Amino acid sequence: MKEIAVGTAVSKGPGIAKGTLEVGAYPDGTPIAIPVVILRGATEGPVLWLNACVHGNEYCGTFTIHALLRRLDPANLSGTVVALPALNLPAFQKNQRMSPFEGFSGGDLNRCFPGRANGTVTEQMAHAIYDPLKEHADYLVDFHTAITPDTRWLLFSDYGGRVSEVGERMARAFGYRDILPAKADLLQGSTMHVAGHDGIPVLIVETGGIGSAFEHAAVDQAADRMVNVMRALGMVEGAVTEHGPLNFFSSFDWICATGAGLYERTVRCGDTITAGQVIGHFYNTFGDRTGDAHAPSSGIVLAAHNGPVLARGELLIHIGLDPRPR
Amino acid sequence: MQDIRIGSAVTNGPGQAQGWLKLADNPDGSPMQTPVVIVTGSRPGPTVWVHACVHGNEYCGTKIVHALLRSLDPRSLAGRVVALPALNISAFNRNQRTSPFEGYGGGDMNRAFPGVEAGSLTQQMAFRVYRELKAHADVLVDFHTAHTADVRWAIYAAGTPEVAAQGEKIARAWGYRDTLAAPAGMLTGSALSTAAGDGIPAFIVECGGKFQAFDGAAVADGAKRFANVLRALGMLEGAVEDHGPIANFTDFAWVHAPRGGLFRPAVRCGERLERGTVLGTYFTLWGDADGDAISPHAGTVLAIHPGPIMVNGDTLVHIGLHNAR
Repeated sequence: MKEIAVGTAVSKGPGIAKGTLEVGAYPDGTPIAIPVVILRGATEGPVLWLNACVHGNEYCGTFTIHALLRRLDPANLSGTVVALPALNLPAFQKNQRMSPFEGFSGGDLNRCFPGRANGTVTEQMAHAIYDPLKEHADYLVDFHTAITPDTRWLLFSDYGGRVSEVGERMARAFGYRDILPAKADLLQGSTMHVAGHDGIPVLIVETGGIGSAFEHAAVDQAADRMVNVMRALGMVEGAVTEHGPLNFFSSFDWICATGAGLYERTVRCGDTITAGQVIGHFYNTFGDRTGDAHAPSSGIVLAAHNGPVLARGELLIHIGLDPRPR
Repeated sequence: MQDIRIGSAVTNGPGQAQGWLKLADNPDGSPMQTPVVIVTGSRPGPTVWVHACVHGNEYCGTKIVHALLRSLDPRSLAGRVVALPALNISAFNRNQRTSPFEGYGGGDMNRAFPGVEAGSLTQQMAFRVYRELKAHADVLVDFHTAHTADVRWAIYAAGTPEVAAQGEKIARAWGYRDTLAAPAGMLTGSALSTAAGDGIPAFIVECGGKFQAFDGAAVADGAKRFANVLRALGMLEGAVEDHGPIANFTDFAWVHAPRGGLFRPAVRCGERLERGTVLGTYFTLWGDADGDAISPHAGTVLAIHPGPIMVNGDTLVHIGLHNAR
């Protein structure tokens, strides 16, 4: 078999290879070396590339990749899984979204792809990751979480041709009900945007919550669904499970809060809401109810701030627009 | 009852008064002030002082206090409730435990009582709170949270016999099974320990979790238990609900993590532990199981690290110790 090398993880045949990929250096000079697992099947086939924690505190993805790797047996696998379960490692360590070494530019790793070899901390990380990704990946799945444990939705690269067709196949096989076919200009600088335009079909999984909203139930369910994606890609034997009816959105709305205070949400992820509907209540620090938050558009709740405190301008709600059964 | 003033909250007979107590100045010169609500009953009775968010991100207490305040009718209340629901307000605003303006001192407000008038920021804040507390409180109730949504335990000050007896009465009326009778000298610098030293019965509720572990169910349950405490103190009419026996631990153990890594806990709050019980499993970044965390004591889980990541020295588990001393 042809050698697949990502950092120090080198795979020459069936089985598991582990290593690290250097994506930067700490102030004390030690390398920022992120974990890599290559799981190679007994039969030749495509390379499925998995990323988690491009946002450092979205741990559900890390554990989903780990749980998936434990479900896979190289003897029954066609092709190769290349897994990077903790992409933005310095942010992972600090339980935060962005790298703690990022100064001026905000440092959202998922807006920095394909990266720059001589760019900022985060651009250099993106560059070190994207090079091998582009070289090896036939498919990409990128794991994210939102705020609360009940988050469950998907995006796929709907850029036309095979990228759309295979992306949709992956999304259907994963089978969360709420799905955004992402258009070509959405989320520029994300791995989806860059890999999709390089001809690699991409699925983004949004499952569970950040930090202490982490939940193993979400992880186990997502790992099972990933096995189904691999069946749909012909990498694992067996019939592809058909999931229930799906909603495809035309787009989404990020709504920032125009109020502040103690906050109680009254809607959950997956709820259908209509414009003008009350989605939560604000209270002042004395305990008096000071007002309500309202939905500015109709659609389906993808993510919702669940309080208990909220500053003006924080993300209040994320709404999938124009859901159409598909 | 005699009218009182705490900051700009001024009572005028039975009813509710709201205002602000200034604790310090912000760097821009604006006042760092904390909200005060005083509910005065129509009949005489004790003054219960209640505060929450002495650790700024422990919001369950704020919401329990709010729920209690909404349920109180001054016409049917004997005595007075003084509530400071967001005590460490600059930390509250930042969703963190200690004030963001605290530099050298660590700034744990619950180790800074009775405060120092010309001390560090947090010592000055504590001084301005405690001066009012000592002047007005017959009973102190202080709300905290830990890591996870299932946290349910309590502490009462068991210094002098009088303080201990009243504290145990409150603890039984609150009715969490897992309750610690804190001897004098434990938690020095806490509002509980300081108030008890001044003869004020004091009670700490540990309920629910931080950040996304905040839980509305814990809040609703806490507000009901709080009303039962007011019945036990004769401030509200009605029979006191009996929650059954309480554990009366005499000590606890904070166990710091001897190692770090990805971590999946195997026990929940309230579970009994033996020495050697597996508390959870560590994993590597590559997803391999990498050893277990083991309980060094027998006892009851008061708080457990939820994972999914842990660094050396994090609180791994907090254990209520049976038959100690």
